[in-house]
Amino acid sequence: MIERDVDIAIIGGGPAGLSAAIAAKKSGIDNILLIERNESLGGILNQCIHEGFGIEIFGEALTGPEYMQRFIDKVEQLRIPYMLNSTVLDINRKKHITVCSPEDLIKIKAKAIVLAMGCRERTRGQICIPGTRPSGIYTAGCAQNLINLKNYMVGKRVVILGSGDIGLIMARRFKLEGAEVLAVVEILPYSSGLPRNVVQCLEDYDIPLYLSHTVVDIRGIKRVEEVVIAEVDEKRRPIKGTEKRIECDTLLLSVGLIPENELSKMAGVSLDPITNGSIVNENLETNVEGIFACGNVLHVHDLVDHVTLEAELAGESAAAFVKGELRNESNIKVTAGKGIRYALPHLISGKRDVKFSLRVTYPDRDRKIVVRDGERILKKIPRVRINPSEMIQFNIEKEYLKGVNGLTIELE
Amino acid sequence: MKKKFICIVCPNGCEIEVRYSEKRIEKVSGNLCGRGMDYVKRELFSPERSVTSSVEVRNGSLPLVSVKTSKPIPKEKIFAVMDEIASIEVEAPIRIGDVIVRDILGTGADIIATKNVDKRIQS
Amino acid sequence: MKGSSSDFIIIGGGIVGCAVARELSRYEAKTILLERESDVAMGISGRNSGVVHAGFYVEPGSLKAETNVLGHRMMPKICHDLGVPYREVGKIVVAKNEGEIKDLYKLKDNGDKNGVNELRIIDREEIKKIEPEVEGIKALYSPTSAILDPFLLNIALAENALQNGVRILLNTEVTDIKGKGPFIVKTNRGEFRSEFVINSAGLFSDKIAEMVGIDRYKICPCRGEYHILDKNRRHLIHGMVYPVPPREPGGLGIHLTPTTDDNIFIGPSAEYIEEREDTANTKEIMEKLYSEAKELLPKISKKDFIRSFAGIRPKLIKPDAKKSRDFVIEESIDNFINLIGIESPGLTSAPAIARKVVEIIKRKKRLKKNRKFNPKRKAPVRFSKLSDEEKSKLIQKNPNYGRIVCRCETVTRQEIIDALKNPLGARNIYGVRKRSKATCGRCQGGFCIPKIVEIMEEFYNPSIDDLTLKGNNSRLFIGRTKDLRKND
Repeated sequence: MIERDVDIAIIGGGPAGLSAAIAAKKSGIDNILLIERNESLGGILNQCIHEGFGIEIFGEALTGPEYMQRFIDKVEQLRIPYMLNSTVLDINRKKHITVCSPEDLIKIKAKAIVLAMGCRERTRGQICIPGTRPSGIYTAGCAQNLINLKNYMVGKRVVILGSGDIGLIMARRFKLEGAEVLAVVEILPYSSGLPRNVVQCLEDYDIPLYLSHTVVDIRGIKRVEEVVIAEVDEKRRPIKGTEKRIECDTLLLSVGLIPENELSKMAGVSLDPITNGSIVNENLETNVEGIFACGNVLHVHDLVDHVTLEAELAGESAAAFVKGELRNESNIKVTAGKGIRYALPHLISGKRDVKFSLRVTYPDRDRKIVVRDGERILKKIPRVRINPSEMIQFNIEKEYLKGVNGLTIELE
Repeated sequence: MKKKFICIVCPNGCEIEVRYSEKRIEKVSGNLCGRGMDYVKRELFSPERSVTSSVEVRNGSLPLVSVKTSKPIPKEKIFAVMDEIASIEVEAPIRIGDVIVRDILGTGADIIATKNVDKRIQS
Repeated sequence: MKGSSSDFIIIGGGIVGCAVARELSRYEAKTILLERESDVAMGISGRNSGVVHAGFYVEPGSLKAETNVLGHRMMPKICHDLGVPYREVGKIVVAKNEGEIKDLYKLKDNGDKNGVNELRIIDREEIKKIEPEVEGIKALYSPTSAILDPFLLNIALAENALQNGVRILLNTEVTDIKGKGPFIVKTNRGEFRSEFVINSAGLFSDKIAEMVGIDRYKICPCRGEYHILDKNRRHLIHGMVYPVPPREPGGLGIHLTPTTDDNIFIGPSAEYIEEREDTANTKEIMEKLYSEAKELLPKISKKDFIRSFAGIRPKLIKPDAKKSRDFVIEESIDNFINLIGIESPGLTSAPAIARKVVEIIKRKKRLKKNRKFNPKRKAPVRFSKLSDEEKSKLIQKNPNYGRIVCRCETVTRQEIIDALKNPLGARNIYGVRKRSKATCGRCQGGFCIPKIVEIMEEFYNPSIDDLTLKGNNSRLFIGRTKDLRKND
């Protein structure tokens, strides 16, 4: 067994981990260790070969691999130590980490930890789709990995459940490689993806979008042979008599992402049941001193640019913590009010500018996001368009937060 | 003729309605800025798209290299371009920005690599 | 494949067939096992909750009772010898109201008649001590009821039989049987001659029997659906928790069964179906399972489900029958032994059924002991269960132990390679799954299947058609990424 002491251990070498590492190094910490379970850095960006990354950070519409390479190059240039093919098996409140690597089992004592493990996909089993269990059922991310990285085409007649961005991107991917996409099925009455993607992934290719529908049966003994879809009512229950059979050989599931917090739970980190990510303060510190969280493991993002900025803050905070400069005075609670699904950070000090991230519960136009302390309204942020699938971020300067007892963020 | 578009130029996503004839736009409404107008004009008469995909690699540490068009290409040429790149193989090592195919199918756009792929280590 | 003749042909590589194979390998004889699927444990035995019953559900005097009680006694040593996880977690059968209490006494009475020791009726206080999360007024407590890994047991029995000289042919389906001792067994991969035939073909055992003119048995397929709960709910129960059984012979009622991998199974239901291989889950039953389980265990929620599945019972009784039927363990015609209708407690009974088969054979044929018989089989490495020191030692010797492939179940690269190297030659995702537990976790293979495929490619360079989920045309892919465009 190998034992190591590090100042900052960063779990996950995707966009969040990379930026946290760079920020920590730039803040003056050298003894950093970036721990990545795959064979290379970059995380999910390795397989996101489409464009749209970096518009905010670089002013360019890069592909995922191009975006990640900029940060990987920086990590190399700054000589930040990292381990590949290395999986964290265990962490505890004392920030002791057990890592399984091809070299040996490694026991690490860290002064600070940044959680950057990303998320996993919701499965067929978790949403209990009836039917058989043939081959040809894939979650979108898994199919994306197989098609873009492993050079396997998973099917040629595809039905996609879920019109979120991943489902839409994969619909286009299938069409581009010559497969048929017979339907994209969405349980909500609106698509949960960005409008740009609905246009460029569905409309461009005449792929039918069935809103307020879901998959109610899967048939096929060895391989998928057909799926049955049905319309749903306002309670999202299938309506008898509206069933439609679609012959296909593949069912692609794009039904949600879940932050991967198994390790966080081991360390005693408290989670928010709405985001499934850690409860954090304005420094992105969790309830466990010296453990920070950022990126998809904290809450699922739509733009990697936001992940990068969030991770920079986490890296800086971890560095400040190690230097003994981080003050945790965050005891003002932030509550998500009506129309707001969740708002981060959960706790603020009122003594610093804060960047809030939130999601609304339903789409609408021409609304205002209201930030108030009891009856006192601190700020109103107007928005032309709001959508649950588009994270909203805004700053509140510390001047507005003087003397605040508790914050509520809601839709007016 | 009438058509509705959701403009994708900026996050506002204006719903723009266009009244047009075969070669002319008669009226545009619903856009908050001039870029929206340019967008629908292009979409109506000469729609273009950037294309991202992958190309098979010979002797690489990965079997595929991700690629993109260096600039948007006419929408109607997308599938022909896809057929074209399906028929080629590129030799490793490959670096981001390498031109895999110059001026593909006369579109003026190159196919360029978007990922680094090293030569496969012989074991 | 003509020519040499066997002493015994076993049809079916489920738990019963493989138990018989192992038992026969104790003797000097030429034994072949024919299995139509790409692996053992793929039929009924591929869908099992792993319960080792103590023997109080079964009717006294029946073959079910006799083999259940004997099998329960044999199981700990068998699992120990074969390296199969076995845990005596106990079981409580819970009465929710006064009206159900007499059923508890009936079960205890049954158990007493069957020679099951240590059954006790316990009250609410004791229920709370054993199972703090369970609601009930009285319960029957069976401390010697146990759980094991049914797939690892099935595989281990097969591998041990193989090790001791049995030939096991996968992907070999019996199409007809001619002759009468010796029998000529025709398959899709040639003909086999044998003095004896043992029919353990599960759902198709009636069809096999028909091939030699025995048509008095008809399998009535009865489907049971299950949900599997995430490991993070394992702590909610200590051992098995069953409600009082329903009055009609449809099944045992919906159970909560922990597994040796720390999941909890909820089920099974009982529904007679038309198609004997229709293992689909249905919306109505899935909802019913959930609501009935919630009555027993209020703390579970739908978010806890990671997978649902269904198995088919090979019942010999029609839906409107009043009583259950016993196992068929008989030499129906000379040298043809039928094992039909082996539903619950089939898993528990399997080793005892195998012994009975040998007893039947011994009446007709002298069997000489196999001096080289080795009852032991080495258990495969389960990295996740090792101590840190043991993990470190393994990695230092072999870096493939240091690379995690299945992150949900902490399965290493070497364990995947070992699963693929299995002596039976089963090489598909389900084969890897049963042996290594990869893909069994909460992400159900979303993360590790691409990695497993990569290892398959490196290890034995399969064609794309050979990359299947569970053998036999359940292809994972239709080709390479560019193939659809290339073929235009």
